[in-house]
Amino acid sequence: MNLNLILQLALSGFLMGGVYSLIALGLSLIFGVMRVINFAHGEMMVWGMYVAYTLLLWTGLDPFFSFSVSAVTLFILGYLLQRTVVNQILDFPEAMQVLPLVGMAMVFENSARLVWGPDYISPQSRFALSSHSIGFLTIDTPRLIAFSLAVIFTILVLLFLKKTDLGKSIRAAADNRLGASLVGTDVNKIYAICFGIGTACVGTAGGLLVPIMPLSPHIGAPFTLISFIIVILGGMGSLTGAMVGGLIIGVAESVGPTLLTNLFQGIGLELEFPQTMKQVVSFFILIVIMILRPQGLFGGKRG
Amino acid sequence: MRKVSRRTFLKYSAAVGATTAISGFPAVLRAQPPEIKIASIQPVTGVISDIGIAMRRGNQMAVDDINARGGIKSMGGAKLKLLLADTEAKEEVARTEAERVIKEGAVCLVGPFLSGNAMTIATLCEQRGVPFVIDVAAADDITRKGFKYTVRVFPTTSKFAESMLFFMDKIMKEKKISKIRGVLTNTGDLFGRVQGATFKKAIAEKKFPIELLAHIEYPLGIQDLSAEVSKIKALKPDVLFPVARPGDAKLMIRELYKQRVELQGIISPGSPGWYEPEFIRDMKALADYVMDNVPWYNPLGKMYKEVNAAFSKKYPGKYIDTNSGYAYLGVLVIADALERAKSTKADDIMAALKKTYFKQDLMVGLAVTFDQRGDNINADTAMIQIIGQSIKVVLPEKAAEAKYVFPMPKQLWERGV
Repeated sequence: MNLNLILQLALSGFLMGGVYSLIALGLSLIFGVMRVINFAHGEMMVWGMYVAYTLLLWTGLDPFFSFSVSAVTLFILGYLLQRTVVNQILDFPEAMQVLPLVGMAMVFENSARLVWGPDYISPQSRFALSSHSIGFLTIDTPRLIAFSLAVIFTILVLLFLKKTDLGKSIRAAADNRLGASLVGTDVNKIYAICFGIGTACVGTAGGLLVPIMPLSPHIGAPFTLISFIIVILGGMGSLTGAMVGGLIIGVAESVGPTLLTNLFQGIGLELEFPQTMKQVVSFFILIVIMILRPQGLFGGKRG
Repeated sequence: MRKVSRRTFLKYSAAVGATTAISGFPAVLRAQPPEIKIASIQPVTGVISDIGIAMRRGNQMAVDDINARGGIKSMGGAKLKLLLADTEAKEEVARTEAERVIKEGAVCLVGPFLSGNAMTIATLCEQRGVPFVIDVAAADDITRKGFKYTVRVFPTTSKFAESMLFFMDKIMKEKKISKIRGVLTNTGDLFGRVQGATFKKAIAEKKFPIELLAHIEYPLGIQDLSAEVSKIKALKPDVLFPVARPGDAKLMIRELYKQRVELQGIISPGSPGWYEPEFIRDMKALADYVMDNVPWYNPLGKMYKEVNAAFSKKYPGKYIDTNSGYAYLGVLVIADALERAKSTKADDIMAALKKTYFKQDLMVGLAVTFDQRGDNINADTAMIQIIGQSIKVVLPEKAAEAKYVFPMPKQLWERGV
């Protein structure tokens, strides 16, 4: 068993997991407050990527700075989406809430295709090709920066929810919609702000990913799926759960296939667990957690 | 005698009219149809929309050019009309879309990029008895099913493997290399799998001196190749043999750079990803020395020069490559068959297609002509290499624009990008 390889895989997976956490945080926040699953989450992330890319193209501003513009743009987009679409479907049965948002996902994907074209783009940016070696480990600089910024952004969102008045109103509206409106909270506005914060998280993540992966209009859907897995794993609506879940899935997908192949060979089986099936690892973990702890790792009674 | 009232008469005639309109019946009866419908079915949205759109543009431009030259002359200058269909890169959508265009009266289908989609469409066309011309889809299996209504203009994966080993043999002999230790990677869709497996099989069957240390597969549309590249690095291969697509090709190059994987060469057994304008635009000097064994345009061809000039004028920044080139050629083959068939009946078109001998100098290879299975026996590949950020044919020597460079004189991170 190649220990160096396993450690290298674990490290890359962990750094990627930080970004996954941020994406999942947005989804979890929206679900926790409004009980709506944003199926356009990944597609909105792609819009975040394109905003950062366009700024890079026009002004030369590095995505590691311009992600803040992505965040603001996506906040506005999320705010408007909540006001126009999501607010209308809050009281619908769950199955009916799915369709409008899946529809919005298509609108986002194909409008990105119209605006930016279908081709894969890997823009040149300052850190895109940078990496450092420490012993046998290679640390990918853009991943490290993305990870750090994602963690900082996550902590800021958590502090905002805990410490500020607005954050407290969001939590109140999440706990009891009727109660919050009875004490004079403008619940519709709070919901729209909350949706905006959720999409700002995913917009930030999009901006941070520009130096790491090529962008194309269709790449969003797998991110919706993965953040959905993370949120269920961590506990629906639990923000800590989303963070920890992201790191777990990041590491598991990266290390899982190689570890399993080694395991097979260890017990004398000439089997290879293909990298193609890495999502099997995430779903397997998800199923195990669902059996042992149906409310998710950090899901409370409400989950 | 029962009287037919005016209302009943109107009702029935309306029904008959509607049925004929839907089934496209008059189009078959008329000797000189004003318009012949053919359909372009390509993955225009979804995971491979970049290539799908290039393909649709190739199909459409060929139709426009044929119409501009006076349409199908043997049928009174009938114009071609291209119906557009989108498979979204999904098999089930490919089927319903093919069904739709057949109902709308397409007498022949052309497409698609993606072997999995091609397989579904070929099956449906067989059931409906509609001719289907595959422009780009290489998996051997498609023409191994005995379909009577399908022909393929593009080379098969076996052909790819055969030329690849021919070129590798030449390189190894000239450079006095006795053995290459390589890693093979491919995407997990039908084409990627079959292309990877056929290359592997050809090496084993011919006992060719390439040792494959690993065969790594990853899903189509992957966005993170760090784990795969870490594995490649741990194996220390001489050459990487990647079967890729545009997104993962770029991802692969950047990961190889960041993880400092030392290689003598990156030589694709035949796949897109390495020759599109966006690859060179984004990768700059990192794109250099990549080799790819592909059905390429004929740089000396008169037809190529004309078509490419028009294509790059219409779509700035683009050029005719493997995909748009074969998309264009596919439509020309249909037009040629219609010209000789003088009919839009499926069996007449099919009989004409089977007798095709279509001279062309758009793509590398000789005249398009089909064998029993429906494969174009003259479809061929060339080894191309990116040298100084432009694409050159390097093998076979008779078509070469430049001498190949192997091993790579500089590793990725030594190129000052």
